[in-house]
Amino acid sequence: MSVSSSRKITQILGAELGKLVTLPLIWLALMWTFILNLVLAAAFTSVGLQGAAGTQSVLNIGLASMGYLQAGFIILGILATCSEYTGGQIRTTLTTIPWRGFQLSTKHLALAIITIPAAFIIATSGVLYTFFMMRDTAVVNEIDTMIQTLVGATGYLTLTTLLSAAIGALLRRTTPALVVLLGYYFIVSPLTRVFLPSIKNYLNYFPDTAGYYMYMPPSSDEINVLTPMQGTGFSMLWTLIFITVAIVFYRKRDA
Amino acid sequence: MRAFNAELSKLLSLPGIWLAFLIGAFAPAVIAALDSIAQKDEIIAGVSTRLSEVGYIGLGFGVQGVIILGVLAVSSEYLTESSESSGGQQITTSLTVVSSRLHFLLAKAGAVTVISILLCIVAIMTTVSTTHLILGEYAPAFEWSRLTGAICYWSFTALLAFGFTFLTKNGILPLAVLMINSSIVSFSVLLAKVTKLAFYLPDRAGIEMFMFTSDRSHTPITGSIFDRFYTPLTGGLVMFAWVVVLLMVAAIVFHRRDVAS
Repeated sequence: MSVSSSRKITQILGAELGKLVTLPLIWLALMWTFILNLVLAAAFTSVGLQGAAGTQSVLNIGLASMGYLQAGFIILGILATCSEYTGGQIRTTLTTIPWRGFQLSTKHLALAIITIPAAFIIATSGVLYTFFMMRDTAVVNEIDTMIQTLVGATGYLTLTTLLSAAIGALLRRTTPALVVLLGYYFIVSPLTRVFLPSIKNYLNYFPDTAGYYMYMPPSSDEINVLTPMQGTGFSMLWTLIFITVAIVFYRKRDA
Repeated sequence: MRAFNAELSKLLSLPGIWLAFLIGAFAPAVIAALDSIAQKDEIIAGVSTRLSEVGYIGLGFGVQGVIILGVLAVSSEYLTESSESSGGQQITTSLTVVSSRLHFLLAKAGAVTVISILLCIVAIMTTVSTTHLILGEYAPAFEWSRLTGAICYWSFTALLAFGFTFLTKNGILPLAVLMINSSIVSFSVLLAKVTKLAFYLPDRAGIEMFMFTSDRSHTPITGSIFDRFYTPLTGGLVMFAWVVVLLMVAAIVFHRRDVAS
């Protein structure tokens, strides 16, 4: 059967989207991320309210929970690729779509389609909550900066998700992938920043720190080493590298 | 006893267990080494405020290994095998062989405790030797009471992970929550800023068994939030109470729940 190339891609994309949407764990992960984010935003807001009035901006506090939020999106990315390998779903997938490179890249595309709105809604909800609670006490940023920062945050979360999906496709088991990624984002990276300040400039080019500059509010008193655009560039580069490596391995390896 | 041996052998032959051992044995040493290098100058000059915590900080952050151990011990039982091998779960086989669910749970908890204690002893040995290697004569003496505290902290954490996973049956949620919570950006530290009640959370209470022996320790990482709140003994008791309650809840839920559900 000969199908035109564009038609093929739409069909594969539809299939990948269908698989993702019907995965119950994905919805659970997104729901819990949303709820947890609101709880954390509430906690950070009440910490902020105790502080001196007028010193902090809404964005700083509303996005303080980003550090935790990324865990939900890491889980999302890993679930998307690793779910193929629990049970023999991968063999069914490859029987129906015998083009491996195509299949994995469309999977990332489908994941991005789901992640972008989810990340935007979740990041916005945290900032909005802080906004309504702290309107009187905190510095309210201009609407332009707010939108820019939220877009940056969405981009960062999406890139993190795609990176996690690539790692998941490389490792093919949920638990090791989860341990490696959470270990890097929450333990290795913060600890090296604290213990080895001498190599801080190099750390800027790692995916999480580079991504941090994508949404870091510009009013911060730290020296911005990377501009948001540079940060985006570097984390996009990392994500693309990992996706490419994943695709290469995926094509070479026995399913 | 035979159930306990069986659980030990099941646990040691898990496919992911090498990761737990690797992290548990070496992560504390690496963190302690980094910390020692970072403040070597201050210690030699005698101005370090954190001398009493050198090395122990590695044991504090290094509990990831036993968290993985506790989570894997339970989640592997509930992992559905592929449809090509009839989609079974190990738990049905386990409960056919050991028909008393309480015995099964106790044997498994015992196996997890024993392995985490052994892992902690290995971790202490690697951590102490790295600290001595880097700091030489300036290395602080490691007291037995605090090392015992660290062992208790590790085994209690493993049991918390174990009980938590019995409730969720899926390894992802407990793994994510507990790993983040034992890192620098812990939920408990955040909550402790909001309410004093957070000092009763298990990890916050338990870590006082071997950290923060000085009355006010201002660390660059954590700031003044890690002020001392308990004595080591009460901290341990609070954490132990959490472990007992969680295991009791897990036992009740496990006892009432249908295996297939």
